[in-house]
Amino acid sequence: MNIIAVSMFFCFVLLTLYITYWAAKQIRNRDSFYTAGGNITGFQNGLAISGDFMSAASFLGISGLVFASGFDGLIYSIGFLVGWPIVLLIIAEPLRNLGKYTFADVASYRLKQKPIRILSAFGSLATVVLYLIAQMVGAGKLIQILFNLPYHVAVYIVGVLMILYVTFGGMIATTWVQIIKAILLLFGATLISVLVMWKYNFNLNIFFDTAINYHRLSEQITAPGALIKDPVSAISLGLALMFGTAGLPHILMRFFTVKDSIQARRSVAFATGFIGYFYILTFIIGFGAIILVSTNPVYLNADGDLLGNNNMAAIHLAHAVGGDILLGFISAVAFATILAVVSGLTLAGASAISHDIFSNVIQPNNKDEKKELNVSRIASVFLGVIAIGLGIIFENQNIAFMVGLAFAIAASTNFPIIFLSMYWKKLTTHGAFYGGIIGLVTTIALVILSPVVWVDVFQFPTAIFPYKYPALFSMSTTFIFVILISLADKSPQAKKERAKFNDQFYRSISGKGIEQGKGH
Amino acid sequence: MFMKDYEKLINLKKIIIYPLLFIIICSYFSFILLIAYYPNWLSQKIFDSSISYGIAYGFFLIFLIFLVTLVYVYLSNKLIEPIVKRI
Repeated sequence: MNIIAVSMFFCFVLLTLYITYWAAKQIRNRDSFYTAGGNITGFQNGLAISGDFMSAASFLGISGLVFASGFDGLIYSIGFLVGWPIVLLIIAEPLRNLGKYTFADVASYRLKQKPIRILSAFGSLATVVLYLIAQMVGAGKLIQILFNLPYHVAVYIVGVLMILYVTFGGMIATTWVQIIKAILLLFGATLISVLVMWKYNFNLNIFFDTAINYHRLSEQITAPGALIKDPVSAISLGLALMFGTAGLPHILMRFFTVKDSIQARRSVAFATGFIGYFYILTFIIGFGAIILVSTNPVYLNADGDLLGNNNMAAIHLAHAVGGDILLGFISAVAFATILAVVSGLTLAGASAISHDIFSNVIQPNNKDEKKELNVSRIASVFLGVIAIGLGIIFENQNIAFMVGLAFAIAASTNFPIIFLSMYWKKLTTHGAFYGGIIGLVTTIALVILSPVVWVDVFQFPTAIFPYKYPALFSMSTTFIFVILISLADKSPQAKKERAKFNDQFYRSISGKGIEQGKGH
Repeated sequence: MFMKDYEKLINLKKIIIYPLLFIIICSYFSFILLIAYYPNWLSQKIFDSSISYGIAYGFFLIFLIFLVTLVYVYLSNKLIEPIVKRI
């Protein structure tokens, strides 16, 4: 066991528990629990958002993908990044101006509360749970390798800490844990990259040249490889990544933590800068690992493969350029990253349960904030326990499809509903509800019938749906059905809903009437 | 006066948002379509260096995406906010 890694990780846990204690004292009402009272600045929120995106999966996963096949890693990072201008240009400001705690606030602004809340909460929870399972299993495996802990012990540690942060510290603790981790991760990744590039006098040309010479694919690592095989898959993956970001509940909820739409805009600009910079670093780290890790027998097993797996490329590289100290630091940061990301996910799921389902569907007349707050805390514990349970159940399952499915649902169900409710006057409750359900079912069905589940998980010889990424088909299905059903809807209810659009649109761009950071 | 400002605001927003959205969608999908249809072009090296067109285009996109967010925030603060304050 790496003593430095363990002691650094302990320092991080102590610090974050102290923050949770400090945050718990400030939480008096729903505002502070769900949105940190709307007092986070654009810069802080930008760091927190970038922290949500710089998960262990993207740090280790993308640098591992670059290590294995070079250019393909860049396709993923650009796809994740390009979702941000979309969020900024069409979603962020109306979302901040119309919503309070969850994106369902926006979708149900002029539509019927019950059906729309149920649909949105279902979309949120599906995305959150799939993401959580992927993170938990990844966490267990990673910590097993880094800290030599048994898998289930690692899952318990992550689960319990996450429950503590969210239940007691709410959004305040979740945001600050995320900010601290984002700074540590940016610092660590910068340090590795600088140490690597230093060896090549910061000359990219020599750097790439050396990597090409050492890699078994040689020249091919600077060109598209096996990730995308046909045009339909390319476009479909592109769409899922581009519009999926705008439908991720744990990302969208961060826009409610800032004061107004000006700060919401600033958050995205900062976040995009940090994430873009970070992806450039993962690319350098991946190539650095080709040169310094794949050529050193210390990091390889008998077959010449990387110890652990390809996702360990960044960790081994930290050791290669910075010895045990940097290895310990990066391992501790990787662990911290997992904690911060799962906390954000749990809070997003808990607020969907307490705010959307409990206070608007189960007890629609509930005006008691304390009660909703307690439901939210119970929901956090409940989600934490589920995450631990599912993390253990899925230990040896193939879960590669889960993040893809989460993105597909976000792009094909959550995004169309949010987008149309903001910008399309003729949208009605019936259209959004039935169209949304059809879209959700289509997405899940296409993923199950696709090669990633039908062949890789169920072991059938050929897939019924030939493409790995369903977004092109599922997103269009949702849009078509929501639009057709809305247009066909001639009910008096629909008429009333359309009549409310102008007022909603006015508020969405002017921000008049929003509640901002009050009560402090 | 009020309606005039409101209409101006909507028009201004469209003038700012549409071109930026167009730039992002075109540049990203041209990248995706190049990957799908012309992977060989992307693998060509720039002059005598070891950096391919693909990598250069990728890095350019990262830079462009960030630039678009900066431009949008700048224009919004400069042009949109004064009108929003008035109405």
